[in-house]
Amino acid sequence: MPPFMIIDRRTMLAGTAGALAAGIVPGALRRAVAADGEFKIGLLIPLSGPAALFGPSNQGCAELAADEVNAAGGVLGRKIKLIPTDAGAAPAEVAKSVVRLMLEEKVDLVIGSHDSAVRQAVEATVKGKGAKSFYLIGNDYVWARNSNEAAKSYISAGGGTIAGEEYVPLGAPNRFEEIVTRIKGAKPDVVLITVIGADNVNFNRAFASFGLDKDITRLAFLLEENTLQGIGAESSGNLYSCMAYFANVGSEANQKFKAAMKAKFGDKVPQLSTLGADAYAGVHCAKALVDKAGSTEAAAVAAASQGLSFATAGGTATMTGRHVDKDMYLALCKATEFEVVKTFEKIASGQSCPV
Amino acid sequence: MDPLIITQILNILFGVTTLAMIALGLAITFGMLGVLNLAHGEFVMMGAFCALVVDRAGAPFLLAVPLALLVCGGVGLVVELLLIRPLYRRPFDTLVATWGLSLLLRKLAEAGFGLGFNSVAVPLAGTTTLFGTDYPTYRLVLIVICIAIIAALFAWYGTSRAGLKIKAMVGNPDLARALGMPVKRLATTTFVVGSCLAGLAGVMVAPLVPVHPYLGLDYVIKSFFVLVVGGLGSVLGVVAGTGVIGGLDSVMSALFGSTQAYFTVLVVAILFLWLKPRGLFAHG
Repeated sequence: MPPFMIIDRRTMLAGTAGALAAGIVPGALRRAVAADGEFKIGLLIPLSGPAALFGPSNQGCAELAADEVNAAGGVLGRKIKLIPTDAGAAPAEVAKSVVRLMLEEKVDLVIGSHDSAVRQAVEATVKGKGAKSFYLIGNDYVWARNSNEAAKSYISAGGGTIAGEEYVPLGAPNRFEEIVTRIKGAKPDVVLITVIGADNVNFNRAFASFGLDKDITRLAFLLEENTLQGIGAESSGNLYSCMAYFANVGSEANQKFKAAMKAKFGDKVPQLSTLGADAYAGVHCAKALVDKAGSTEAAAVAAASQGLSFATAGGTATMTGRHVDKDMYLALCKATEFEVVKTFEKIASGQSCPV
Repeated sequence: MDPLIITQILNILFGVTTLAMIALGLAITFGMLGVLNLAHGEFVMMGAFCALVVDRAGAPFLLAVPLALLVCGGVGLVVELLLIRPLYRRPFDTLVATWGLSLLLRKLAEAGFGLGFNSVAVPLAGTTTLFGTDYPTYRLVLIVICIAIIAALFAWYGTSRAGLKIKAMVGNPDLARALGMPVKRLATTTFVVGSCLAGLAGVMVAPLVPVHPYLGLDYVIKSFFVLVVGGLGSVLGVVAGTGVIGGLDSVMSALFGSTQAYFTVLVVAILFLWLKPRGLFAHG
């Protein structure tokens, strides 16, 4: 057997940490490198089960990145070969836990960058809208709880109060009527949303159907294009999302990224979202890391991360002190489209990465 | 009374009635025919997709009702004739067969509509003021419709001749056949009715949730809990079962939170399986 090593997300994180991790996630690098021949990257993406709706975007964006890397000479002179591996499974219960696993894997890695975004977004709503009281609703797991811990400290620093905070189980068939009723009673200025996927859709639809969307601003920290489609035009009033990537961000880098996707896939471009953009950045990051380290040894990779530059859908990212500075966007939902209303430039990722 | 308490009471009523509506079809096929239909959730999902198709075509929402009855009833008929009929009285085989069917139906929906979340516009959007509180109009209407359907079924099953025949078939199919009853046709009709009810439930929930191929999974588990608690073979069992499961879920959710509510429902279902496996109102 040729000598190879597996970079799992923990080792990878040791080398890269923080916001960059967002880049690796769906392309979660569990990969084996053969000593010669092709440079194989196993892409752990959901191809079956409910989360499979994110699969095509992840795979398409990763393929584009692989093409670009190969055109530029590959990794250590070897061509990248992506090996998509199904992280989903069919039977009911397994499928549910896969959604959990996939999204959890995704988001607890994102924390390094989202952490800071929470601060900018919270400050923007406090200053811009004069928001005083906040209600926090999230799925019951580490990313949501950590984001909310961070949010609470920024809120109290800004003189705001917490009107309520609650969590619903991840992967359970949740109903939101009771929670929406409690929010109605608490009368907050802003609801911070860290529920994800179908829960995010259900919560926002219930929220709007009780007529609360008129007076209360909603701010979500993982709301991408597909989820907004499910929420629908009539339920997305006064709803904001804060993330590092939106498909219709007007930046030059994103236009180039979108044009490249269009050139590769024509009419069959998968729905672009932050998840696909992460897969794209993940492959480019892998190339940059391994090329600079000259091997896939964990220690060498860790050392190489300092000052590393690599391509992302949002432009070139540079790592310093094992963190990546990147732009974050605050977008307002207009029917089922995002409209970027504020750009937070070069946001340094937080130091409180819990992974 | 505090308007918020009234809202929470309406929430409980809404939770219980919609759950009863979804469990009803399952109770009919499982309780009366002894068919543990694991694809029941997929019939709910098909009903929801009927609503989506109607919504996308820009047609009135109510058109989804006949469409869902046609689609779910039709699929139910074919499934009963080809899949269920040869397997009566072979519960494990039925279980495996309907599980396979559920996979097939999900994949067909995926092939036709993709995996993305879809939304159906809420008919009767807006809120209505009731007892001093604003409640979503569509949810209020759903509560009323669900109660009406359950009451109608209750009355029909208890008093009609067809109900009597079904009871005879359930009680002793061999004797019923010997008495000249068309047992096979009766069983087919019963299964189709169960499928239609699932489709109807799907249309009802479609404007409330993201419509996607895996929608059925969210409902089928709780429906089974309802049958575990309520017992098989009677409409009363379904009502009692949803009262306990849906009521507990909503009350705990209103008082403590969703995690505690989900935990309580699971514990109660397990306790019933353990201590009272025939449920509250077991048939016979």
